[in-house]
Amino acid sequence: MMSPLITVMAKPERSRARPDRRRGLLLSLVCSLGLTGCAGGFELPNLLYLATSANSDQEINAELISDFRERLHSVVVGYRQLHPATRFQFGIYPDAVIVDAMRRRNRAGLGPDLMFVNGETAKQLVDQGLADPFPLTPSLEHLFNPADLQRMRTDSGALAGLPILIQTQVACFNRRRLPDPPDTLEDLLRASARGHSIGFSIELRSLFWTAGSAGSFEAIQRATAGKPLEPKQMESIETWLAWLQNASNQQRVTFYASQTSALQEFSAGRLDWIPCSSVSLPGLRKRLGDDLGVASLPSGPGGPPTPVNRLRVLALGRSSSRASRERALSFSRFNVNPLVQRSLTLGSQTVLPANRFVKVPVQSSQALQAISASEIAGQRMAQIAGLLHDKDPRLESTQSLINALVFGEVSPKAAAKDLVRLTSKQP
Amino acid sequence: MKDLLLEILGWLGYLERPAVLAQLLLVVVVIMGSHQARKRRLIQHWPREAYPVLGFTILAIVGLTLTAIGRPFGLALLLGLLWLGWFSLQLLHHLLLVWLPEKPAHQLESRLLRPGYLLAASVILISEVDSIQDLAVAPLGELFGVSINAGKLVEALVVIYVVLVGCGPPAAGLAWVAQRAVGMSDGSRKAMELMLRYTVVGLGLVVVAVQLGLNTTALIAVAGGLSVGLGFGIKEVFSNFVSGLWLLFEGSVRPGEVLMLDGDPCEVRRLGLRATLLWRDRDNAELLVPNQTFFTEAATTFTASDRMRRSQVNVGAAYHHDPTEVIALLEATALSVSRVLPHPPPKALLMSYGDSAINYVLRFWIANPLDNSSISSEVNQAIWHAFKDQNIEIPFPQQVEYSMVWPPEQHQSNTGRP
Repeated sequence: MMSPLITVMAKPERSRARPDRRRGLLLSLVCSLGLTGCAGGFELPNLLYLATSANSDQEINAELISDFRERLHSVVVGYRQLHPATRFQFGIYPDAVIVDAMRRRNRAGLGPDLMFVNGETAKQLVDQGLADPFPLTPSLEHLFNPADLQRMRTDSGALAGLPILIQTQVACFNRRRLPDPPDTLEDLLRASARGHSIGFSIELRSLFWTAGSAGSFEAIQRATAGKPLEPKQMESIETWLAWLQNASNQQRVTFYASQTSALQEFSAGRLDWIPCSSVSLPGLRKRLGDDLGVASLPSGPGGPPTPVNRLRVLALGRSSSRASRERALSFSRFNVNPLVQRSLTLGSQTVLPANRFVKVPVQSSQALQAISASEIAGQRMAQIAGLLHDKDPRLESTQSLINALVFGEVSPKAAAKDLVRLTSKQP
Repeated sequence: MKDLLLEILGWLGYLERPAVLAQLLLVVVVIMGSHQARKRRLIQHWPREAYPVLGFTILAIVGLTLTAIGRPFGLALLLGLLWLGWFSLQLLHHLLLVWLPEKPAHQLESRLLRPGYLLAASVILISEVDSIQDLAVAPLGELFGVSINAGKLVEALVVIYVVLVGCGPPAAGLAWVAQRAVGMSDGSRKAMELMLRYTVVGLGLVVVAVQLGLNTTALIAVAGGLSVGLGFGIKEVFSNFVSGLWLLFEGSVRPGEVLMLDGDPCEVRRLGLRATLLWRDRDNAELLVPNQTFFTEAATTFTASDRMRRSQVNVGAAYHHDPTEVIALLEATALSVSRVLPHPPPKALLMSYGDSAINYVLRFWIANPLDNSSISSEVNQAIWHAFKDQNIEIPFPQQVEYSMVWPPEQHQSNTGRP
């Protein structure tokens, strides 16, 4: 019994023993892997990688992740009935960095299978070769509003992503402090004069709805298209800007640097009324409970507001294997079936379905009513959205101008001239 | 926690992609190939450092080719770059040795640069497969009523690690400046350095706790509970820690001090949280002595007020030499040894009349207590030579053995006379 031990111990040459041991280990590893393969017990997880973008008014925190996970779970439960043993893994990126992040991941072959992003972002991804165009069958095409599909087409005519949901801009108010939400821009300023605290974000995207209410939307649209303006149209822009400056002069109206700051103040109960994105509603509901009221954005002398709504789409990643591409397509199609679309809308009461055959029960929910009204009002924005994309340099220069106006550094008249000059300058 | 673990496990799914597998395989082949080539010196005249660069160049060429045909290659390139970066740290080691001594250079590399590199590499790799922002907010659980997420935890651990490891050089620098400014001793400088480190670490822990948002009331309650626990469970550890702090403030056991331990002079090298590190000259041993030993037991130090030590050697001279001459010779001999201090002057004394010699002691002062043995040896040698020159005998005990007879009355001396 002792002799083998003695023989082993009698070999002190480490330099010879180590490579042998390594070879032995390597051989055992290869054999183990081989045997595992023969037994069929080693299987990679059946995964679908999903990347989603968070808008600038959404802070990436545990609450947002939990909210997204819950919503995804509600869809996944149904999907697993058709495709069991499918696991989803998601990563949330800020909308401002998702294109760069996808570029980096795609270069490594580690891009996601699906990207749940804003329509504009999906178009950028396809244009830059970071997402594949979505193969649209006639039966699938039939499900959507042609205008929505048109918005999602790239210059080459490819569909950047499959429309899933519509997020809209609505008015959020504190019922306990402000029982009747303002219906018009005048009512809004009147409410502030009565002592109600009103909050705005200075971001152009959040403020632009007032352009419609003030009646300057058509003028801005013409300017953006590079067309000359009539004096009356110029005057309408001046009226809009004058209203913004007047609002900023009110004691109870505050302009915040970002929508996130305005939301924090509102959820802390320090503001009575703010314009907010429908996706912010679940978080606000958790904090304010029944005190949270949701209404349409105020109209004005110029007509209904022009909220900036977002179409959320599923774009196809380019790093998928053949099997995961099939899973991605199957999951995308599953998401637009009427049953899922309805449950998504009714479950969260924060979004609208992209499938045009799914009717939203607006009578049963004030929030859905406001969201639906906002979606209709925002359809006008499609005309301007075609002229201005998210990264358009005109947006940045216009934002600087609005900042100067709100802080009183420039008069509405001068600002109107500058605005027309800036927006009509084609990039 | 479960979600985070599932998320991490989910990254395995990328192995389903042939492009990912191919990149990983290529990287493994290139790294192993260049390792083998380096080991066997395949190209005779090339320095060993050139092999990883060659490996990366091959990787980059393959990468450019694959990119040109539209295949993804970013992962392999990134892994190659990280590997090259890791290898570059070895080159940086040589560069560090130009400015820093071996030990600090090694510490800087092993405690700060390499862990920092690994952390950065992990973050970069994770961001290739997932959203770091998303992972950072993944909840891990609650601590004293505060929810802790992965980002907060990693941030706290990094801050604590950096404070623990990185506060040494700045504290040493500040203590050095203070020493230059107010002229304190080396021992005081080292003590100040240690106290600065403890202060920074303490403040760092408090800042981390505040950053995490820990409830101070809960912390105080826990501290109260811990104090009871400390009293019973880890009282030795706590006792050693407090003893160390006390000794530091008291200044009796500071780095650089010389203490007698079991009859041997030892120099204090470092006063740690639990134990003091001493260096024994006799056998170059480093001794770890619990701090409370110095706190509770009497200790002999040679460096409390100054670093001088009075040493002594014993010597015997034959009875027929005049003690006055012997004493003068001994004192002169001590002064002739270069490392014996002239002031206070050496002093020789007649101590006793022994069996075979008159016993003298020679006492003299030395500057460094750790040199006692070697200087005593030099003095003893000098005495031997001086006695030889002056024909002074160093007698050794002599005994005469003879057989006793019984009864004792019949006993006779060796001369035969009664």
